[in-house]
Formats: sequence, C-alpha cells, structure tokens
Amino acid sequence: MFESLVGFAAVLALVLVRIPIAFAMGLVGFVGFYLSSGWHAAISMVSRLLIDTAQDYGLSVVPLFILMGLFVNKGGISRELYQVSFAFLGHLRGGLSMATIVACGGFAAISGSSLATAATMAKVAMPEMRKFGYSDALSSASIAAGGTLGILIPPSVILVMYGLLTETSIGKLFIAGLVPGLLGILFYLFAVRWFVWRNPSAGPAGERTTYSGRLKAVKGVWAVLLLFFLVIGGLYGVLDVWPLHITFSPTEAAGMGAMGAFIIAALRRALSFKDIREVLVETSLTSAGLFFVLIGAWIFSNFVNVAGLPQALTAAVERFGLGPWTVIFAIVLIYVALGCVFESLSMMLLTVPVFFPLVISLGFDPIWFGIVVVIVTEISLITPPVGLNVFVLKGVVGDISTGTIFRGVTPFWVFDILRLVIILAIPGVVLFLPSQM
Amino acid sequence: MQSIRKIFTALASMSLAVSSIALFALMLLTFCDVLLRSIFNAPIEAATELTRLAMGVVVFSALPVLSARDGHIAVDLLDFVFNRYGIARIRTSLISISCGLVLWYPANRVMQLAERARSFGDRTEYLGISTFYITWFIAIMLFLTSIILVSRGVLMLFFSNARKETPDV
Repeated sequence: MFESLVGFAAVLALVLVRIPIAFAMGLVGFVGFYLSSGWHAAISMVSRLLIDTAQDYGLSVVPLFILMGLFVNKGGISRELYQVSFAFLGHLRGGLSMATIVACGGFAAISGSSLATAATMAKVAMPEMRKFGYSDALSSASIAAGGTLGILIPPSVILVMYGLLTETSIGKLFIAGLVPGLLGILFYLFAVRWFVWRNPSAGPAGERTTYSGRLKAVKGVWAVLLLFFLVIGGLYGVLDVWPLHITFSPTEAAGMGAMGAFIIAALRRALSFKDIREVLVETSLTSAGLFFVLIGAWIFSNFVNVAGLPQALTAAVERFGLGPWTVIFAIVLIYVALGCVFESLSMMLLTVPVFFPLVISLGFDPIWFGIVVVIVTEISLITPPVGLNVFVLKGVVGDISTGTIFRGVTPFWVFDILRLVIILAIPGVVLFLPSQM
Repeated sequence: MQSIRKIFTALASMSLAVSSIALFALMLLTFCDVLLRSIFNAPIEAATELTRLAMGVVVFSALPVLSARDGHIAVDLLDFVFNRYGIARIRTSLISISCGLVLWYPANRVMQLAERARSFGDRTEYLGISTFYITWFIAIMLFLTSIILVSRGVLMLFFSNARKETPDV
C-alpha cells in the first residue's frame, strides 16, 4: 500500500511540472512494476499494452463518436439548436439563459466532451445574451454549467473510458446517463429561474416567437434529432421491431452516427473537401491523445494492482468498520479535491482502478458508480479555483473575469449538489432504464 | 534548416493523410457492416479484425504529429510559476527529451515482439494477414515519436528561437 501511495504522489508531482499525463502515469507505473516484478515483466507489460490497446475493438467507439460530433458541428448545428430553444423559451424571463441550457443539452447529445460543448455554445449564445442585456454573470454561468452536460448525456467519451477500464457495458452506461442528464437540464433551468427571481434585471425576457417561426426553427434541427434517436434508440433496442430489427453495439452506433452526421452535413452543403480533411485530422489527433492517456492509465493501474492497493483499501475499510456510505462520501470528497488539479478524464483514469474494486466489494452497482463519478466530475468542472469550463469560457469570451463567472455559477452549483444527493439516495433514477435493456 | 523543415512538414502531412484515410475507412466499414447485416443478413465477417487494424493505423499515424505539436494532454496549472522565473522553455525542452528517451525502450521491445510474431507466423483469423505488419508499424511510429520528441527538446534547448524554427506541422 505504501508503494502505491508513493506512486500517486509521484504522478501528482510529475503532472504538476507539466509532464504529459500519459507519460507521468506510464512512467511511474512502469518503475513501480519494475521494482516489484523485474525489468523484463515490466517492459513486456508496457509493450503489450501499446500493441493491444490501439487495436482494441471496443475502443473504436472513441474516434467514431468524436467524428460524429465534429461533422455535425461543421453543419452549423450549434446555432440552430440555440435558435430552436430560443423559439420556445426566449419570451420567458431568463429565457435566453434557459435556451442556452437546453441547447447545451442538445449539443451534448452529439458531442462527448464538456469543454467542446462550452466552447461551442459560448460562440453562439454569448453574443445573443449580451444583445438582450443579460448580465455577464448569468450568461457566462449558464454556458459554463450547461457545458458540463456534455460528458453525461450520451455519447460520452468519459463513460466509454470508464466502461473499458472496469469492463462495464458501455451501452448500459450511456442509457444510464440519460435520466441524470435530463435531470441536470431541468435543475439548471430552475437555477436560471432562481437567479432572475433574485435579480430580475439580470435576465430580461426576449421577444415571443410566432408558431410559424417555431416550426421553421424545428425544421432546422429535425435531422440531427433523428440521428440522435437512431443512435441511442439503436443502442437501447427500440429499433428492434419489424421490419428493421436493428440493434447496435456501441461501436456500430458510433459508426452509424458518424456516417449519418457526415451525410447530414454533406446534404446541407456545409462540407468542403478541406472541412472533411480538417475533421478527420482533428479526430485522429484527439483520439491518439486519448489513447495514449488510456495506455498510461492502464500501466499505472497494473502497478497499483500488483502493489495490492485495492485489497489493502478494502481491508482497511473493514478493519475500521467504515460503512459503505462513509466510503462513498469520502470518495466524492477526494474527487472534488482532485478536480482542482486534474483534467477530468485523467482524474477518472487515475482513480477508478483503485476505487472501483472497493466500491463493488461494498455492494454498489458498477453502472451507478460510473454515473456518480461523472456527475462529481461535472461539478468539479465549475468548482473554484480551477473549474476548467470556466477557464475555457474565459478563453472564448475574453472580456470577462473568472470571478464574475464563478459568482454566476453558484446557483447552478447548488442545484448540481442537489442532483448528486438525489442520485446517491435513489440509485433507481440511474438504474431503471439500463435494467430494462 | 529550411530543408529539414520541408522534410518534417512533408512527413507530417503524409502521416496525417494515412490516419485520416484509415479513419474514414473505419467509418464506412462500420456503416456497411451494419447495413449489410440488418438488411441482407450478410455481415462482413472480417469487420472486427479490419476495425482493429484501422484503429492501430489511426492512432499510431497521428502519434508523431501529436508529439511534435506538443498536443499531449497536460496540466498547466503551475505554468505561471515557471514563466515568472523564466524557466518554462528549459522545462519544456527537458520534458520533451526525457519523454522521447523513455519511449525508446518500449519501442525496442515492440520491435522484438513483432519479430517474434513473424518467426511464429502469427496471422489474423479471417483474412490471414500477418500480424507482424501492424506491430512493426507501431514500433516504427514509436521510434519516430521518440526521435521527434528528443530533437524537438534539443532544438528548443539550444536555439532560443527554435519554437519559430520548428515547422508548424
């Protein structure tokens, strides 16, 4: 156990001097493995992981879902998602912020990344909210908070990684993320209402859209909504009816989604050859980066297992007679603390191999724990001092202080905690849908 | 310097082209497999192993370029400290050199494993493709990444304007 703790400290130190996370985890894992099992075993373990991970069939979900998100984005969908939410919500007080939240939720349904969701929606929604005289605190906060939905509403890159690392069904994880994600949207809408109730001038009502205007707005997004339904429906099995009989594995869903997004963008004439090349290159580079982090995490996790940390933790929990909920509470606190330093994916990859066996041995459900981890990660994305989404937003918008954004984000954060409590207290919220599969 | 720059740029666009084509092929393959299976009940039997091959190509073709661009996921929380003391450049170059050196060992071992697969005559199940081709490819790309990381670090360390000189690949 002592070796593992030294290993953790070493990774933390290396990461803080800006050694790439993949190398930090890989190197420490390798050295630890070498010290316990010898050079030959260690170098062979690392090499096998390098060869096998990149050729893992299950992992092909990652590039394909990234591809889907980027293709849809090239088709200009972020603006249209915003327009359609505005058409239905814009006339309410705080309506533009509410439209931003819903559009973020919609964008999250095609993108698996929170940072991408926040960055994209900032470009679209921020100018609109400023035009209508929304306060900077409310408008920036609704984007930063809405953006966090990206990693929970399927598809989600983080859930894929969790599924691979813990051998939990990725399809079930995606379906499990659906209800907590919708709950997140609903709670954020409450947060906006609360904000404008306390400070009415922060979010004045916009113009009401006519019914024909609404219909027109819906026409802009129906194809993408259909694509989402096809991908998630295929995964869930609702398309397994006469005469189609289509059910997708996660990889197939991702492939269909990417191809569908490509066709939609092409039909809209939004794709030049240069665009296609850009999307493909960006996807390849992002995937390579993610894979490398995953390989590093796997090396580290092999070391941690050889050093017996998960067993030692389980034994310690038994010896001190800690209840299951004390453990979960401690884990949640550790995540919030680590979230101050780590980028969300690396944080998860580093900790899940240690906590997962413990949590399962205490009788919790692996799918439920995955969703809890993701929600805590979402919260860490908007928690001071290093809420990453807040910094992404500042990078895109520019003339706004992080202090203003953090102040605005507070009500959203409070509702996030409430959602976390609900999901901790009633696991059925998460587990009902996947149990029907 | 100019000719080195040209060679690097050409190599980078070549490897990105390879990974893009493999990725597009992967998308088409999955799409066709699903359609053929659900409509004509005739799945592409080799789809799984082709997917695995394509994935290997996508990831490892992109790796050298990702490393040349300093695109690995990292935490820049303490950057302001390094900038204040003016040691950010030295730090980045030393990290690049050490990462490159560290990568050399697994690259070597992957090469040995490839040779072993060749001597055993390992082949894939459906198409009978020799597995050492892809393992070789992975080893070569790892060597290339290692060389790129080391030379990038050395360039940064000894030429203070190396950042501008390193080709924007």
